[in-house]
Amino acid sequence: MQPGPGGGAAAGNARHRKWPMKRRVPLSEPSLGDPHQLFHDTSSAHGPGSYVAHRVPGGLGYSSPLQPGFLDDPMSNMAVAYGSSLAAHGKELVDKNIDRFIPVTKLKYYFAVDTVYVGKKLGLLVFPYLHQDWEVQYQQDMPVAPRFDINAPDLYIPAMAFITYILVAGLALGTQDRFSPDLLGLQASSALAWLTVEVLAILLSLYLVTVNTDLTTIDLLAFSGYKMIGGVVTGLLFGKTGYYVVLSWCCVAIFVFMIRTLRLKILSEVAAEGVLVRGARNQLRMYLTMAIAAAQPLFMYWLTFHLVR
Amino acid sequence: MAFTLYSLLQAALLCVNAIAVLHEERFLKNIGWGTDQGIGGFGEEPGIKSQLMNLIRSVRTVMRVDQYFQKLKAHSFKI
Repeated sequence: MQPGPGGGAAAGNARHRKWPMKRRVPLSEPSLGDPHQLFHDTSSAHGPGSYVAHRVPGGLGYSSPLQPGFLDDPMSNMAVAYGSSLAAHGKELVDKNIDRFIPVTKLKYYFAVDTVYVGKKLGLLVFPYLHQDWEVQYQQDMPVAPRFDINAPDLYIPAMAFITYILVAGLALGTQDRFSPDLLGLQASSALAWLTVEVLAILLSLYLVTVNTDLTTIDLLAFSGYKMIGGVVTGLLFGKTGYYVVLSWCCVAIFVFMIRTLRLKILSEVAAEGVLVRGARNQLRMYLTMAIAAAQPLFMYWLTFHLVR
Repeated sequence: MAFTLYSLLQAALLCVNAIAVLHEERFLKNIGWGTDQGIGGFGEEPGIKSQLMNLIRSVRTVMRVDQYFQKLKAHSFKI
C-alpha cells in the first residue's frame, strides 16, 4: 500500500467523493489479540510499527497469601476452589453480556493511548497555532488508533480532565473555606449535566442541518471533554487577574482547536481546503462549526467562574 | 450551581411532554408547520424547517403509541 495523494492535490475530482480523503499509512495492522482482554499492554512494545499483545494473566491462579499454612486445611481448600469457580462463572456471564450495553470494542479504540500521544495532545490543546496538518489518518477505512495519530480523538484525556477538574474544584473551594464534601458530588453531577446538554444540542443541530459526517457520539463526547483541560488549568490559579489571563488564553486556544478539527469533519471537502464556496448549505455548516466552537469557551467560563473569589 | 442530572431529566420530560400536547389544528397549521404541508418533493436538500417538522411529527407519533408515557408523567410529578 503506497501512501495516497495528499489532500490538496486532487481538488478537481473531490466533488464526486463523499468522504474525506483518506491517506493510507503503511502500518502493520495492530491486532487486538484476545477479545476478553480489556487493555493493551504496551510495556514491551518495540517501536511504533510492531505491536505485541500480551495476555493479562487471569487473576484466578492464586499465589498463596501471607501465612504459609493457609491452604493446608482441606475445608478452606475446597472453599477457595468453589469461590474461584464461582468467580470464573460470573466473569464469563459478564463478558458475554457486556457487549449488549456498552460497546466495549469501540470504547477500546478511544483508550488506546500512550504517554507520547497524551503529552503532544495536551500541548496541542493549549497551543494549537503551529500545527499544520489536522487530518486524521485512516487505515483500511478505519481511523488509526490515537497512539499513532495525534489528530484522532480519544477519551482518556477528557475522562482524566473531568476527574481532575472535580478535584481542583474541591481544592479551590477549600482554600476559600467554602468546602463541604457533598459539594464535590454536586460539582461532578452539574458538570456532567452540562456536558450532556451540550452533546445533545450538538447532535440535534447536526441532525437538523443534515450533515453527512462520520462523527460519532463518542467523538462528540471526546471533543466536549477537551475543554475540561482549560477548566483544570484555570482552576489552579487563585487570584482574579491570573484567572482571567489564563482563561482568555485557554478560550482562544480551544476555539482555534475546535474550528480546525471540526472544519475537516463537518464542512464539505472543497470548502475545508480554504476555497470559499458559496451556497446556503455551506454557509449553514460554517455557522454550525463556529457555533460549536464558540460554545466551548462559554462553557469553560461558566464551569469555572464560581471557583474564583 | 445546583444543576443536577435529575433536573436535566425533568427538563427533558417536560420538553417531550410539550411536543406531545401540541394541538395540530390550532397552532401548527397557523404557523404553517402542519404535517400535511411541506413534505415537498425528493429534492436535494431537506432544509431546516422540514427537518424540524419531521422531527416533531415523529416524536408525536411515538408518543401516540406510547400512552404509558402519559401515565408515567402523571405519576412522576406527584412525587
